[in-house]
Amino acid sequence: MTAVIHEQQAVPQPKQHGKPGGFLRHTNIVTGVLLGVILAVATYVIGGLLVPWGTEDSNFAQVGQEALIAATYAAWVIGFMIGIGAFAGPIRWWLGHDLTHADAEYMAGKDQGKWKYWKYTTDHKVVGIQYLVMAMALLGFGGLLAMLIRTELGVTWAEVFDPNFYNSIIGTHGIVMVIAMIIVVAGPLGNFIMPLMIGARDMAFPRLNALSFWLLFAAVPPLASNLLLGGIRDGWTVYQPLGTQAPVGMIGYQICIITFAFSTGIAGVNLITTIVTMRARGMTWNRVPIFVIGILAAAIMGLVWFPMYQYSQVLALSDFAFQSSFFIPQNGGSVWLYENLFWLLGHPEVYVIVIPATAALLELMVVFLRKPLFSYKIAVAGFAGVVGISSLVWVHHMYMTGWSPAAGYPFMLSTELISIPFGFLVLVMLGTIWRGKVWTRLPMMCVYAMIWNKIIGGITGVYLSDVPVDQYMHGSMFVVAHFHFMLMGAGLFGAMGAIAYWFPKMTGRMLNERIGSIGFWLSFFAFQLTFGSMFVAGLQGQPRRVLQFDNAFNVSNWLSTIGAYLIGVGMLIFLYAIITSWRSGQVAPSNPWGAKTLEWQTATPVPLENFPVLPVVTSDPYDYGVPDPYLAIEKKLSDENQDVTAGAR
Amino acid sequence: MSIVDDRPAAGSDQPEEPTNRPDVTYRLREWLSRPYVRPILTMFVVFCLLVIPIGWLVVFFMNMSGAPASDIMSEIEKTILVFTIVSAPLMAITLTIIIYSLVGWGRVTGDEPPMQESPAIRSNAIGTYLWIGATSLLAAFLVIWGLVELATITASSYGSVSANQQPNAVKPIDVNVTGQQWLWSFEYPDQGKISNEVLVVPINTPIYFNVTSVDVIHSFWVVELGIKIDANPGAITNTGVTPNKLGNFNIRCAELCGMHHAYMETQIQVVTQDQFDSWVREMGGKRTV
Amino acid sequence: MSELAANTQSAVPRSATTGEPVTTTARRNRLGIWMCIVSDATGTVALLVAYVYLWSLNVNNAWAPPKDTWADPIPFWLITAGVIVATLAMWWAVSGIRAGRTGQFVAGSVIASLVTLVTLIGQIVQLSTFPFDITDGAYASATFWLCIATALHLSVVGFLTSAMIGRLRAGRITREDHSHARLVAMWMTWVCVAVFAGAFFATTLNASPNSNSPTFGTFQE
Repeated sequence: MTAVIHEQQAVPQPKQHGKPGGFLRHTNIVTGVLLGVILAVATYVIGGLLVPWGTEDSNFAQVGQEALIAATYAAWVIGFMIGIGAFAGPIRWWLGHDLTHADAEYMAGKDQGKWKYWKYTTDHKVVGIQYLVMAMALLGFGGLLAMLIRTELGVTWAEVFDPNFYNSIIGTHGIVMVIAMIIVVAGPLGNFIMPLMIGARDMAFPRLNALSFWLLFAAVPPLASNLLLGGIRDGWTVYQPLGTQAPVGMIGYQICIITFAFSTGIAGVNLITTIVTMRARGMTWNRVPIFVIGILAAAIMGLVWFPMYQYSQVLALSDFAFQSSFFIPQNGGSVWLYENLFWLLGHPEVYVIVIPATAALLELMVVFLRKPLFSYKIAVAGFAGVVGISSLVWVHHMYMTGWSPAAGYPFMLSTELISIPFGFLVLVMLGTIWRGKVWTRLPMMCVYAMIWNKIIGGITGVYLSDVPVDQYMHGSMFVVAHFHFMLMGAGLFGAMGAIAYWFPKMTGRMLNERIGSIGFWLSFFAFQLTFGSMFVAGLQGQPRRVLQFDNAFNVSNWLSTIGAYLIGVGMLIFLYAIITSWRSGQVAPSNPWGAKTLEWQTATPVPLENFPVLPVVTSDPYDYGVPDPYLAIEKKLSDENQDVTAGAR
Repeated sequence: MSIVDDRPAAGSDQPEEPTNRPDVTYRLREWLSRPYVRPILTMFVVFCLLVIPIGWLVVFFMNMSGAPASDIMSEIEKTILVFTIVSAPLMAITLTIIIYSLVGWGRVTGDEPPMQESPAIRSNAIGTYLWIGATSLLAAFLVIWGLVELATITASSYGSVSANQQPNAVKPIDVNVTGQQWLWSFEYPDQGKISNEVLVVPINTPIYFNVTSVDVIHSFWVVELGIKIDANPGAITNTGVTPNKLGNFNIRCAELCGMHHAYMETQIQVVTQDQFDSWVREMGGKRTV
Repeated sequence: MSELAANTQSAVPRSATTGEPVTTTARRNRLGIWMCIVSDATGTVALLVAYVYLWSLNVNNAWAPPKDTWADPIPFWLITAGVIVATLAMWWAVSGIRAGRTGQFVAGSVIASLVTLVTLIGQIVQLSTFPFDITDGAYASATFWLCIATALHLSVVGFLTSAMIGRLRAGRITREDHSHARLVAMWMTWVCVAVFAGAFFATTLNASPNSNSPTFGTFQE
């Protein structure tokens, strides 16, 4: 049997097993959740019967409640993945029942309407939308927690929450936001837009694409449920051995991270392979859009370092549930081992967050300034330098741990050095802005917000990178304000600009810029108030993660809290703009910005196969601009000067 | 008076004598003559001047509770001022360009993509080298300053050199700091092993801390004296400082350590040598000779 | 001749789902497996770093298991040998199918699968017969987890090798296109490296070089 693929070829097909899509015709989010819950409950009940607490087993003495909860959460993840149909792929592969073209089309969501968003759908455009909604949901949840945190800190005359609950809120807020920020650009835009931008029909491994999203989905309930099981009371970093004092909700965090690490690793494999092997004909490396380079850079860092974080949680879970002693000093463990494993990812991770947003803004700036990207090669060198050096700076999070006082020297050196490739990216931004006529639409204005926040994040980073200065500032609210300026100020506001830019392609509608701008700028200015005051609180001496503090810090905290509430209002307004525009906004043409990258050269809404005919690329996408008028003047002067020189001899 | 004047007569259309060397600054003068350049340079200078005082503002907030109370803290504050000054030009030029771009090179509004395009500048050797040179110089300065400063502070913290560069006229005092959930305790091994929950030290004496924890990670932060070191279970870490100001200052825990982390605070009381000696006697210890 | 007919008669085998030549998809899959190896390598390094770091610190003098009951080195090396034999068998199978000898491919795959199964059982036996519990200090914890990682690696390898015969029978592995078999062999080669590294550290680094670590909670060295 043959199939005609893309109206061009008749390709021999393997045997069609059942209707197209096979087992996946019957699976969706409902079956996934059902099976996950059933398997989790079954594990808890049966496990509890089989291994009563306090049993002495041959090697694993004292298998207690923690191990049971860990098994329960793991059963949820496995059950959900069975129920959503993730195992159909490996099982079919094992049996030799490879996919036919009809299977692949079904799995890509052909002719399923809106229902495809609730299933194990492989089309990168569907996965991109799923990631967008998930990112917004996580940001909303994290934002709600932030409002609670600022309420506690603003009510300086009383404890609003019990200290343990407060500690749980800050920890959950931290990890939810970190996860949300990791996925917010690479998820929606790396998935939906990047394959279009390189002229491909889908990603390299479409089924892995669906897998990475649904693994993320499965990872969220364990994390969210921690608040019901006592909470993660140890900050998002969950330093050990403090983590072993936590109630069983801590296991939710650990299972979440272990699962999320698989999701991210698989996504990284997919992104890297797609970018390296599936670029359109003619898209040589020096014609690749800079956004794609940024996604590649982030994917490489994530792929290489995420297992460090994953294993730190595996070992922490082992300590917690099985009383091993990786991090329990009485029994031979080392707190510094945890810190090193954690920060080996922890630092590259902040670049995984900031680089995609920066690359997206570099990409869109060109369109709104109508001039080419300034020095593409330097931008690429900047990304490469950041990726390379980011692996060598992690100890600057550990200056004060006493781990190795001598390590302060080389890591201060590497931390200062990374500012040079980062500076390349700023150079490219400034060079692109230089002498450009600005089309003042919302995506472009977000660039200004991002650069402003990066300046402040940058100078405060310079202070923190110095070991002696860090002796004062580490562990204070100054650090919290610094990383919020980088991750939220540059990362999130940048991501909002990127989403505003690609909104017409992804949703087929134009984003309501009046409302969106009101929300955005309210958030921006409120952000300055919130975190500017937070810098002051830190300088005055307020430590991190405290719910009560010296009266000297009251004013700073009141101002921060007022600012935070205003950020909340602004973000809700922006969200309102997104939702109403998505549902009933002005219908978008296929290229509303007049951009030259490939994703804008196909129709909106984007057809299933992306391009009727795969494009062939003949130049980079930065062919804007008119010849510089000053070049003629310079030439004239140069000629005149040569005349003078000639005449003088 | 008749002076021979052999300048060309007024109104003469003869050109001036050509010089022997070509005018190498023609490019610079042309660039300066462009309409956007002088406003940008002016804004740049203004922003530099606005950014530099931020360093003093930062230090002002740090000093609100009585800092600096040691050479280390003074060194930290000096570093902040210097880092702000050297970073100011790069910050200022970035601010200048983004703000000027909103006013000086034209703006387009509206729904349709603009018809007019901007100059197609794909590279600029001078600008690029200037920028990379400036950022590299800045990074090099920060590194060298930081490395030297760290070495100086380490030497004065760990005892090879006394903070005031004087030969050891003053015998240092060892303090064993134990962090636990949720209080600090200080033991003076050389003063008869007296133990207290408030840290009392004499002024102008090097104090060396041995720090550990008996449960989870804490962080020993003597705020106004500018020192901090984690208290790790299973390990002993060290730091040191010479207080140079009398008064009561703050010790806070700077690493989340559980439910009452926020309340894990105590005081450091810097007193005169005589007051310290009598305090030691009151606590039942013995004075070190 | 119409383009459709021409393509149908083309000798280049093509992917059934995307229509691309299988050489293209094979190259893509190979890069994907390399990326997986990189990621797994970092994870393996994390475990090895944990082992070496804790060995070097000997925190609270609690690195060694009670009464110095270090694990017997022989099972480690038997398991390593098992993985290597299985991998060689798989490569032998791949060279067979490349030359058109399906019998050799079947034999190699069967040997690889059986040896992997036996090795996995051996690893589980080793895990359940250690002379210490996972609760007995840092060496015990690290050794347990190195072995658990090996067991997980072996389970994945067993899944992969046992699929080979079925895929051959279904026509998915042929002389012209046996890229999946090569990728399985490639992955198994990496697993050999990981298992060897774990066995090497666990058998050569036993007693800690650090004998004067501070007693927990005190200032005595």
